[in-house]
Amino acid sequence: MKKLLAAASVLALCAGHAQANECTNPVQITWSTIAGFYTDAMNQFVASFEKENCAKVQVINTDNSQLYNKQVIEMVGQTGAYDVVTLETAEKAEFAANGFILPMTEFLAERPDLVEDVAPTLRSITVEYDGNIWGLPYYTYSAGMFIRQDLLDDPIEQAAFQERYGYPLARPETWEQHRDIAEFFTRKAGEKLKGQVLERDFYGVGLMAGPFPDIQDELSAQLWGMGSDWLTDEGVVPVDDVEKVLAHYVGLLKFAPPAALTVTYDGVMNQMRDGQIAMTHGFFLDQWPNAVKTEESVPGAVIAAIEAPGKRAYVGGFLLAVSSSSANPEMAMRFVAHIGGPEVQRQFADMGGATTLMSVLSDPVYETAERRPLNGEYKTLLQVFESMKGFSSNLFNTPFGAKIYNTMHIPLQSAAAGQITPRQAAEQLAADVAAICGGPCPIKR
Amino acid sequence: MANVLGVSHTSDMVVRSKAGMSDRTFSILLVAPALAVILVFAILPLVYALDVSFRFADLTRGGIREYVGLDNYRRVFSDSNFWTAGWITLKFTVVAVTLQMTLGVGIAFLLHGMTVGKGLVRSLIILPLATSAAVTGLFWRYLYDTQFGVLNWILGSFGLPEPNWLGDYTIALWSVVIFDVWQWTPFVALIALAGLQALPREPFEAAELDGASSWRVLRTLTFPLLKPVLFLVLVLRTIDCVRLYDAVAVLTRGGPGTSTETMTFYLYRTGLKLFRMDYASTMAIFFLYVMLVAAIFALTPLLKQFTDRAKEA
Repeated sequence: MKKLLAAASVLALCAGHAQANECTNPVQITWSTIAGFYTDAMNQFVASFEKENCAKVQVINTDNSQLYNKQVIEMVGQTGAYDVVTLETAEKAEFAANGFILPMTEFLAERPDLVEDVAPTLRSITVEYDGNIWGLPYYTYSAGMFIRQDLLDDPIEQAAFQERYGYPLARPETWEQHRDIAEFFTRKAGEKLKGQVLERDFYGVGLMAGPFPDIQDELSAQLWGMGSDWLTDEGVVPVDDVEKVLAHYVGLLKFAPPAALTVTYDGVMNQMRDGQIAMTHGFFLDQWPNAVKTEESVPGAVIAAIEAPGKRAYVGGFLLAVSSSSANPEMAMRFVAHIGGPEVQRQFADMGGATTLMSVLSDPVYETAERRPLNGEYKTLLQVFESMKGFSSNLFNTPFGAKIYNTMHIPLQSAAAGQITPRQAAEQLAADVAAICGGPCPIKR
Repeated sequence: MANVLGVSHTSDMVVRSKAGMSDRTFSILLVAPALAVILVFAILPLVYALDVSFRFADLTRGGIREYVGLDNYRRVFSDSNFWTAGWITLKFTVVAVTLQMTLGVGIAFLLHGMTVGKGLVRSLIILPLATSAAVTGLFWRYLYDTQFGVLNWILGSFGLPEPNWLGDYTIALWSVVIFDVWQWTPFVALIALAGLQALPREPFEAAELDGASSWRVLRTLTFPLLKPVLFLVLVLRTIDCVRLYDAVAVLTRGGPGTSTETMTFYLYRTGLKLFRMDYASTMAIFFLYVMLVAAIFALTPLLKQFTDRAKEA
């Protein structure tokens, strides 16, 4: 028996050695992705993939604002520079319709568990298009909102709110309540908040109204909440609906810090951690690890991640897809499956990443108090996905979605800044979209 | 004639025997690398852009496609965004260049009159030029921040209004102007200072002997003699301001709305966000044409002046 074991050990050693020798010429693949936490956290998982698959993955980090342009240029040129690309939700249809990425339907047919594990709402929005599966999402920036629960729970504030508005102070369930709360908590230095005199101005809401493609994410929550969309089924902008939500949004700006017109999500997080704002608008829940640090920086603060009013908010995730000009599509698809798979996603979650997999999001391990600083938004994410089950936006189902998404903030921000009226902005958006699509935008579900 | 030809032939032979090639060939070889660079990086792209401007070219809708005649050029004339961007560029250029020239020349005179520490000050004022606008622009974004910025902190300390420098569409463009003036005024100052130091002393000594007032010396001697240098700086700064991109990209991204969207930023948005290379090329060609005409008008007197001086010399 001992001899048998020894022989087996030698054989195993030899086999292992042989395997190591086999990997003298690793397959090279390149992953184009976003610079920052999203990618930094992935580096160790890239290493494990390389080890298991005899591959060499070159990670190319690009600033998020330039990623789309860079990837489109490489795809149009069929340069083969990128094997795996990272796409925003609105970019999926464009890349698929233009043949920039390969369908992974057949590849994933052998691993149905990988697709089935993706939150159903995200699956239909980020992965599926025109009857195919185009990759796997590895990170979700789906939105809810953050609010200072300690302010809502304060008896002095509750009484004052009840007296002023005639209903109890609580988490907002409608955008009108959200506006009332924003107005109520907007105070000047010298006034009191929770019975304490304020040393500087305090604002009811933090808004991402800067010159970035985030203002539309906030407005999506309201627009989708009223049963409308950025594009009708006929492929045109519903001007009246856009005007309505924009007018409401412009009304909110007087309850936001003046910096609202220059900031994006990180600016709002800074305002929250600095104790300047009571809540956000529809906001990316993946920012929970940042938002919850307010509890350390502002004495007595308690942060809650909740669903946005109307239970509609911007949903989406970063899709990993394989370039059609990839020299090693098979290896690239294995890489996508690796990063989007449960093993890596669980480790990503352990680091505080906003995973897209139901098996991880619903794992009770992440509901414990000690996991709260990193994964405290998971419960809300599950609620968001449940509330938005079956939801789809035409913005994500037109091949022009990326172009629209990347430029639509301009007229919206013009209205927010007061340069034009909400009506003019809505009409400008409709004209811009018609110009981009060359008429009504084609919609393909 | 034969003699002349003979001499010429002999001297040519001498040059050839020395260098192994004629002067003409040698001079062509010297400029060839520069010409090759210009050809590859300027002329060919220009010809290509001209070709694309007459086509339909949407990179995400089939790439470079059929010819559409003058459609793109017609669109330029009816595109309000293009003209708005042009107007913003013009406003920026006129104000920024005027301020830079005025302040730059003023600083140059001050430095010229300094007796101590001139070298140190000269080294210090060059610092804004030593870093790219992309980097310094980030610092300025923080300086301009409405809540945490130093500028508003200073204004607030004196009880003055604290403007929303980059968020208020009525002042955002002027905030970009201030940044550009901060960065490029030293350049004007240094060139003007070099011009001042190179002026001949004799006319000034003669004017002093004649008892001319300072103002008269300035008006009749200093500025006329400095004119070619100042004119050159003016042209350089104007060209640079007209094609402003980096400061806008870092500070405002064209916003709020489109209030700081300059011509080049609009070009970038059309070409690299919407991938309409046809229309972006058309605007670029149009822009180039306008710049070329303006440059010819501006540079002709200067070139004439240089030629006249060379002849006099």
